[in-house]
Amino acid sequence: MPRHQGARLALSQRQAAIILLLPFLAVYAVFLVYPFFKGVWISLHDWNLMAVAFNPDAKSYVGLRNYERVMWGQNITWAAWASPGFQIIGVLGMLASAFLYRTGRAGKVTALAMGIAALLLFVLPGFHPGEGGRWFDRRFWPTVGNTILFVGLAVPGVTITAMLLAAALDGETRAKAVLRTLFFLSQVLSVTVVTLIWQIMFSPRQGLIANLTELFGGSPIVWLTAEGFAMAAIVIATIWWSLGIAMILFLAGIQDISKDLYEAGALDNATGAKAFWYITLPNLKRTITLVVVLQIILHFQVFGQSHLMTGGGPNDTTQVLVRYIYQTAFRDSELGRASAMAVFLFVIMGGFSILQFVLGREKDE
Amino acid sequence: MSGVTLSNVIKRYGDVQVIHGIDLEIENGEFCVFVGPSGCGKSTLMRMVAGLEETSGGQIHIGARDVTRLDPSQRGVAMVFQTYALYPHMTVAENMGFGLKMNGTPKPEIATKVAEAARILKLEPLLERKPKALSGGQRQRVAIGRTIVRGPEVFLFDEPLSNLDAELRVDMRVEIAALHKQIGATMIYVTHDQVEAMTLADKIVVLRAGRIEQVGAPLNLYRDPDNRFVAGFIGSPAMNFLQGEIRGGALSLPAFKQPPALDLQLPADGTRVELGIRPEHLRIDPEGHDFRLELIEKLGGISYAYLNASTGERLIVATDGESDLTDDMDVGISFDPARAYLFDTDTGLRLR
Repeated sequence: MPRHQGARLALSQRQAAIILLLPFLAVYAVFLVYPFFKGVWISLHDWNLMAVAFNPDAKSYVGLRNYERVMWGQNITWAAWASPGFQIIGVLGMLASAFLYRTGRAGKVTALAMGIAALLLFVLPGFHPGEGGRWFDRRFWPTVGNTILFVGLAVPGVTITAMLLAAALDGETRAKAVLRTLFFLSQVLSVTVVTLIWQIMFSPRQGLIANLTELFGGSPIVWLTAEGFAMAAIVIATIWWSLGIAMILFLAGIQDISKDLYEAGALDNATGAKAFWYITLPNLKRTITLVVVLQIILHFQVFGQSHLMTGGGPNDTTQVLVRYIYQTAFRDSELGRASAMAVFLFVIMGGFSILQFVLGREKDE
Repeated sequence: MSGVTLSNVIKRYGDVQVIHGIDLEIENGEFCVFVGPSGCGKSTLMRMVAGLEETSGGQIHIGARDVTRLDPSQRGVAMVFQTYALYPHMTVAENMGFGLKMNGTPKPEIATKVAEAARILKLEPLLERKPKALSGGQRQRVAIGRTIVRGPEVFLFDEPLSNLDAELRVDMRVEIAALHKQIGATMIYVTHDQVEAMTLADKIVVLRAGRIEQVGAPLNLYRDPDNRFVAGFIGSPAMNFLQGEIRGGALSLPAFKQPPALDLQLPADGTRVELGIRPEHLRIDPEGHDFRLELIEKLGGISYAYLNASTGERLIVATDGESDLTDDMDVGISFDPARAYLFDTDTGLRLR
């Protein structure tokens, strides 16, 4: 039976969708899905990078032992005040989420997510080696702690700076447009350039910051090798680097607020800082959530700043998770253990991604 | 409470002057409506009273105080915006009390005043809702409530009804009139709708291109317009105009074969003039033949007949609802000579 010419070419909507999605799905599967499951699989093996490269059979299945070797130790016990810093923050976080929920300032999901995060912050640091005990991997948890500290400093730093900049640079004057571009420019630089710039900035001899401290009569700080300052230094560089996107998101959020509200505010005696606090800030709630969660996901993956500026030092104070994974895998060739750490990192970031998804869908009452 | 006085008020944006020296006296407790076509500067003028636009020249007094250079919050004014401008993250009660909170009023006092305003506007059941959960009319009421709570010397309304549907607009118009009666404060109201102006105002200010065309009570403007613009703007449907010229001491109107009887002081020969008659003052004369009845709209209570003159000029005549006129008839018109107005075509001024 002769078929109609057009009929052969006509695709149903579903077929068209599949065909158009196929290239993406193929790449996604080959470069993301497959490596992910391969990573999980590797994490269940004793897998030496070099040995397996030369002899594919040189690996052996060990179950969850890599996880145990990385995260657990001998004679581990739990106490409420083993690591007071984190645990007090955890308790305060739980109280804050309960308070916010009770007073109706936070929705159910937001409060629940905050509460769970705070609970984890209280419970996890409580584990510590008991009498005669020890961690199997003494560097892992401090590294996780460093990473969390880095995120805990960089995220509020970026968010607050970007929001204030956006509020200051919102407007139609030429100077503001130029400044917006300038502040965004740092975003396009690669991490190598950024760290190079800031290594020079922090240099105790010719650095701008050292010159400024000397100008005011202080002695220059050796930022990158002083234990108390190295983390601050890479946080500052990171804030400068990742300000742009956050600022653009805040600008979009601010421009979305009706000008009439500020005029009503002017009549109600809310101008300047009061207008920012009572009108701008509450209307930016969604943008703030978006920026914070995106920045958390981004900064948990910090690697270059620590690797290039401080080399994880001094005394491991800026050693971060991705750098530790990298070293375990490619310097120590312990691919199995490195994969176990990577899966741990994935779980953290996956948690925040889900949080972002949930918060994004939560309706304002 | 106090009146508002504008003396030679000027507004410039760079080189462009949009308000050209306005002098205006608004009495204490008066309901004053600024009306005019879009772009006439009515909103700008009110925003200058509010302090949301800087005044480029002249003075604005509220009561005895010169407020020309004061911040909006210092002027003792409160404003209802066309878009309501309610704070979306605050409840109705918080929205209404926000101005007092910013001025450091104690909480119990705020609560009392909010409750009082809510009672006046029947907003009590809505106090804990957010603006998103309100209808347009309710939002508008909250916006009005916010001004009442502030207890200002002068209330400002910037086209407050133009975002509402027709039915609600009539209801709110009545409510605003009732509110004015109840609290008796000075109110300035901006609108482009001359029906709102006529029904609400004690005093109408007709503006065009940044200048006052005429100020007066609604019926005075209707009965005694100073110029062709005001005559055409006030009244609905608008006044009819017919071109003419003064020849040999008499008015010649090309639209009429037989010139109608008039009772007017005529200017010098050669002056080009326009004769103005309102639709409601014209009567159809079935015996006449000067006009063609193009269309008749029967609204029940009233009918509007659309007439075409041989000169191409169009007239609208309001006749009674039961009219037996039909489309495409040839008709004439008649009118009471005392109800006709004469305007100078070149200056637009009324010739009396």
